[in-house]
Amino acid sequence: MNNFTFVDGSIVGLYLLVTMVAGVMVRKYVGKVEDFLVAGREMNLYLGIASLAATEFGIVTCMYTAQNGFDKGFAGAIPGVLTFLAMFLVGYTGFCVKPLRDSGVITIPELFEKKFGPRIRWASGVVIVLGGLLNMGVFLRTGGDFLVNISGMNPDYLEEMMTLLLIGVAVYTILGGMLSVLVTDYLQFIMMSTGMIVVTFLILDQVGWSTLVNTVQTHHGEGGFNPLKNKTMGWSYVIFNALLNTAAVLTWQTQISRVLAAKDTATGRKVYTGTSFFFVARFLIPGIWGIAALAVLTPDQIDGNSLLAMPKMLGLIVPAGLMGLLVAAMLAADMSTDSSYMLTWGSVIYNDIMAPFRKSKWPEKKGLLWNRAIIAVIGVFLLIYGLWYKLEGDLWTYLGITGTIYLSSMSVLLIACCYWKRANSWGAGAAIVFGALLPIATLTLQKIGPYTDWFKKNDTVCGVAVYVIVALAMIIGSLLKPQFQKGVRTF
Amino acid sequence: MIDGIINMLQNHWFWGFLTLACLIWYSTVTIYVAIKGASDIRNMLRRLSGAKE
Repeated sequence: MNNFTFVDGSIVGLYLLVTMVAGVMVRKYVGKVEDFLVAGREMNLYLGIASLAATEFGIVTCMYTAQNGFDKGFAGAIPGVLTFLAMFLVGYTGFCVKPLRDSGVITIPELFEKKFGPRIRWASGVVIVLGGLLNMGVFLRTGGDFLVNISGMNPDYLEEMMTLLLIGVAVYTILGGMLSVLVTDYLQFIMMSTGMIVVTFLILDQVGWSTLVNTVQTHHGEGGFNPLKNKTMGWSYVIFNALLNTAAVLTWQTQISRVLAAKDTATGRKVYTGTSFFFVARFLIPGIWGIAALAVLTPDQIDGNSLLAMPKMLGLIVPAGLMGLLVAAMLAADMSTDSSYMLTWGSVIYNDIMAPFRKSKWPEKKGLLWNRAIIAVIGVFLLIYGLWYKLEGDLWTYLGITGTIYLSSMSVLLIACCYWKRANSWGAGAAIVFGALLPIATLTLQKIGPYTDWFKKNDTVCGVAVYVIVALAMIIGSLLKPQFQKGVRTF
Repeated sequence: MIDGIINMLQNHWFWGFLTLACLIWYSTVTIYVAIKGASDIRNMLRRLSGAKE
């Protein structure tokens, strides 16, 4: 073990006990499906900020953002700055989120039904759940890798450790739904934030700002500070990330569910504006940890794996006592993400994919039972797919495909649904099909065919093109569908 | 401490300023949300138990 002592283990154990007890205790307040899925729409501003921030920062986020810092320097934090701008503007103007929350729906596909019909609702639900669950499928193993590297634990116990953690999270999520998620997110936000702030001050004290800046200058030159001068980034990277992060702010179910659970539209918008700057910290703080790893570790210690450099560095410089706080903070980050993701993807399965099977309104007890069963099944899926099944290939590509399949089409559908009267089911169907097929085609062309190098080099250009083509599919598809007015066909 | 902050603002001021802003904002929000969030939870559970009765 690195600096992980009995004291650290006690801190982690106490934290886990308090979280589980709090999560299970609130189950008695769940009486209806609406309580379970959106906390009875009683969530207020500060609880919303804590919950959104805790949900959107998991160990997997920490790993990739730190890797961005390691590989790209400070410029690697640009996606965080872009997310901040997107979330602040969406919250401030109410773009899409105001009509969405005003409509009183539980999920985005439910809103789509009002404009595009039940088939599009169902198809949207399928795309959202597929993209979301496959995306989440890699969280457990990546989280386990981090904990093993930081604490120096025997990797043979990774599966058992993460299985126990998932069971604990699943128990309180199944019992208390969104209420348990919100209460535990609150505790997890405090623990996670305290750990992140303390460790960042420790790194700034031990490594020093000048060393961090000089390391970035030496390894990345001016491109380590300016994304437009970075040879792995450039304009297309910035534009693609602006589109990707705006789409996520508008439609990523775990983010939008905070707006939908808010007690009113104004509170939902304030949750977005109030949390927006967190997304700069979400990229910059682990990014600095990644830069510190580049400064502190030797090439032998890095061993060609930039993803694991940051946890290795933390394992070396974080002292005993503080290590317990850091591990508890990262467990908090992972647990809040897992619980929220299980609940929100489960809510789409129940609310949208199962909608055709609910011809009449189900009794609340039956609805609750089904929701709980769905979360349990998602937990089993995560366990088998994410932990015991070893993913082949590279993780970035995997996350890219699962994210873009969902985000490009759903963001276009949401904007058209809210602001374009002429939008209809043909356009929506075309956008969903193109949104799903184009990322898969791009990735296939990166592996086979005569232009593999071009597609690999211009992956962000292809990403931008996907969003443009999906928007065009919506426009052309909608314009092609004949319109009917008072029984008279018009074109 | 003061020297460190001046160094951050002089040495690549944009990223130095952004890092300082993150740390100050994040520390403040954590304390503020910890206090106000507890009150939000109490109110939420009170309203939900009221609605059930």
